[in-house]
Amino acid sequence: MDFQWDAEQQSFRDTVRAFLAANLPADWEAQAHGPGSESQSAFSKKFCGALAEAGLLVPHWPQRWGGRDADAWTAFILAEEMWAAGEPRGGQYMNVNWIGPVLMRFGSEAQQARYIPPIARGETLWCQGFSEPEAGSDLASLRTRAEKDGGFYRISGQKIWTSYAGHADTCFLLARTAPGKTGMSVFLVPMDTPGITVRQIPSVIGEGDIHEVFFDDVRVPESALLGAEGQAWEIARAALSLERVGIPRFALASRMLRRAVERLRREGRYGHGAVEQSARAHAACEAARLYSYQIVDQRRHGTPTGPEASAARYATVMCERLVGEFVVEHLPEALSGGDPLLLAHHQRAIVAGIASGAAEIQLNLIATELLQLPREPR
Amino acid sequence: MDFTLTTDQSALMSALDRLAKPFEFRPIDFHGFALAGDGLECELDDGGYFDIAQVPELGSLTAAMAVERLAWLPCTVDTALSMLVRPQLPGEWPRPIAVVENGRPGRFVATAKTLILIDGDQVSLARVTPGDVEPAESLFAYPMGRLKRRPAATVLSAEDAASVRTWLRVALAAEATGLLQAAIASAGEHLSVRKQFGRPLGSFQALRHRMAECTVLAGGVRWLALKAAATGDPADAALAALHAQESATRIAYDLHQMLGAMGMTLEHPLHLWTYRLKALVSELGGRGGQALAVARHAFGH
Ligand SMILES: Cc1cc2nc3c(=O)[nH]c(=O)nc-3n(C[C@H](O)[C@H](O)[C@H](O)COP(=O)(O)OP(=O)(O)OC[C@H]3O[C@@H](n4cnc5c(N)ncnc54)[C@H](O)[C@@H]3O)c2cc1C
Repeated sequence: MDFQWDAEQQSFRDTVRAFLAANLPADWEAQAHGPGSESQSAFSKKFCGALAEAGLLVPHWPQRWGGRDADAWTAFILAEEMWAAGEPRGGQYMNVNWIGPVLMRFGSEAQQARYIPPIARGETLWCQGFSEPEAGSDLASLRTRAEKDGGFYRISGQKIWTSYAGHADTCFLLARTAPGKTGMSVFLVPMDTPGITVRQIPSVIGEGDIHEVFFDDVRVPESALLGAEGQAWEIARAALSLERVGIPRFALASRMLRRAVERLRREGRYGHGAVEQSARAHAACEAARLYSYQIVDQRRHGTPTGPEASAARYATVMCERLVGEFVVEHLPEALSGGDPLLLAHHQRAIVAGIASGAAEIQLNLIATELLQLPREPR
Repeated sequence: MDFTLTTDQSALMSALDRLAKPFEFRPIDFHGFALAGDGLECELDDGGYFDIAQVPELGSLTAAMAVERLAWLPCTVDTALSMLVRPQLPGEWPRPIAVVENGRPGRFVATAKTLILIDGDQVSLARVTPGDVEPAESLFAYPMGRLKRRPAATVLSAEDAASVRTWLRVALAAEATGLLQAAIASAGEHLSVRKQFGRPLGSFQALRHRMAECTVLAGGVRWLALKAAATGDPADAALAALHAQESATRIAYDLHQMLGAMGMTLEHPLHLWTYRLKALVSELGGRGGQALAVARHAFGH
């Protein structure tokens, strides 16, 4: 065991930081109006294009797809620096974290050739069409149907909470081709296909983040099916396991904690109460950091990640919670126009335990798989 | 000791129930962060409700119950400071009342007629003149406002300042009581109706216990708040405010967690209570400030 970065890792981090210093205006977040907004989506295309040119968009991908076969640490250090900077890649973080890798693993040659290069160039946005009004934590109960019709599928149903849908080019869609868990299939659906309607959901978390997406007899060719019919559960599991530890939330949380503490100190407000609470939040951030590193290290060694990934995710939820609560209690003006960066962080932090799967479901997984406790009767 | 309502209190609460009824639902087209209860404000004013603490048969305790009841509503009006703090101010001060703590934005500051200015240990009172204040855009579910310039203010004596602080704590706890209960009820409704895995969410023990704990916390806040309103004792007030802020922090987190993505929408009303609670947790020094006051009174620290 060694808790130090090696020279190569440190120099990669420095490279990423230098890139950010040169390419990311300090106030970009204040102008971008939140993840998924029109301005953020446009910004992310410019920014990711520049990242791609610098070889910093997909270094962890195979050379064939524009990467340099860098290891899991490289990918994670990159993700940490991006998230800590407020995630200027916007929705494109999903592309490089899991959509690309899942396409490489399950996609046909034609699908790979069509979809992977634009991702590697940083010029395309995806959305993830999993959740439905009646299928949140119980994803396997989803109802959106895809019926075979000659060489086509006709898709009807509704998705909800779909991030980035307003400006996405393609939807990574989960739909039912038969009953049961083994009756779910993945479709790659261009968002301009006739029959798709997107409606933004007004929310506490900023403009353009979550949407309803309606599919009204949407016709896609059978070449839109990813993998085989019925393979969605396997594909979604692979996607979610990359997604869950793919977002180093602790990196932004600890940066925002530091930002808040520095301001409180400057203004002579860092007294009793704030001191203890910030220390606790800091400990939670560092615990989440090490927990996540453990998962990255497993990935790097090719060890399948198990329930520890759920533990890492939950530790991250706790750190977001404590940092969020610290700011609300000690720098409340941040939520009333006093600090756009802390506000943006607040809006991200409050979904940490919900987006990409509710935290309580992770707790169930930890109890069943890590503790080997008997399951709750259903 | 007697925990039942007097006849006068019961009558007042029934009257308030009737008055509150039309305000129990949000306008369907409302998708904002804070719902100002202008209509409610007029009715309360017409009915003389802002002065109930001064009615001998009712007093501060009943005023606290009224504040609690009105905080259940999705819309918001300055009831707590008007009903509980204003009667304790030295001299006559017009309502609405708002607090500006160390220059920060505060609830109702943009519409207040009287400001309580807290600057470190000093407390002063000011009448607002046009141009002193402006609205502030905020995630908090109160109409927030900030000072544009500092109005001429009367600095209170240490004794009056301490009394104002005490009653601000009572007001905070009374308001939090209603908000906590309403937020819990709103989440409870969702957990009863929403099904996942073929069962209502409220049938999962993990959530049942969490909801039950939230309820116990809120009930504790209520008793502490009502006692503090009855005694006006600084130690009671500090305890009530501490437990209110502590519980609010935890319950706001838990309820949003249990609502899932629905709790992030402006369509569901949960934020109208939780984001008022979040505004309360920073006030009067937050939990740390309350804890110091409690320890000073209880343990001579
Ligand atoms: C900001 C944001 C972005 C999102 N983006 C996307 C996206 O791009 N694409 C997409 O498909 N989805 C997206 N989602 C949806 C997200 O995946 C779901 O919100 C999540 O899976 C939880 O589902 P739900 O909201 O329906 O909550 P529910 O499933 O209704 O759960 C509500 C509560 O009940 C608890 N619960 C449920 N079952 C159990 C149980 N068995 N035992 C104990 N507790 C239980 C949950 O933990 C939670 O606390 C997003 C959500 C958010 C908030």
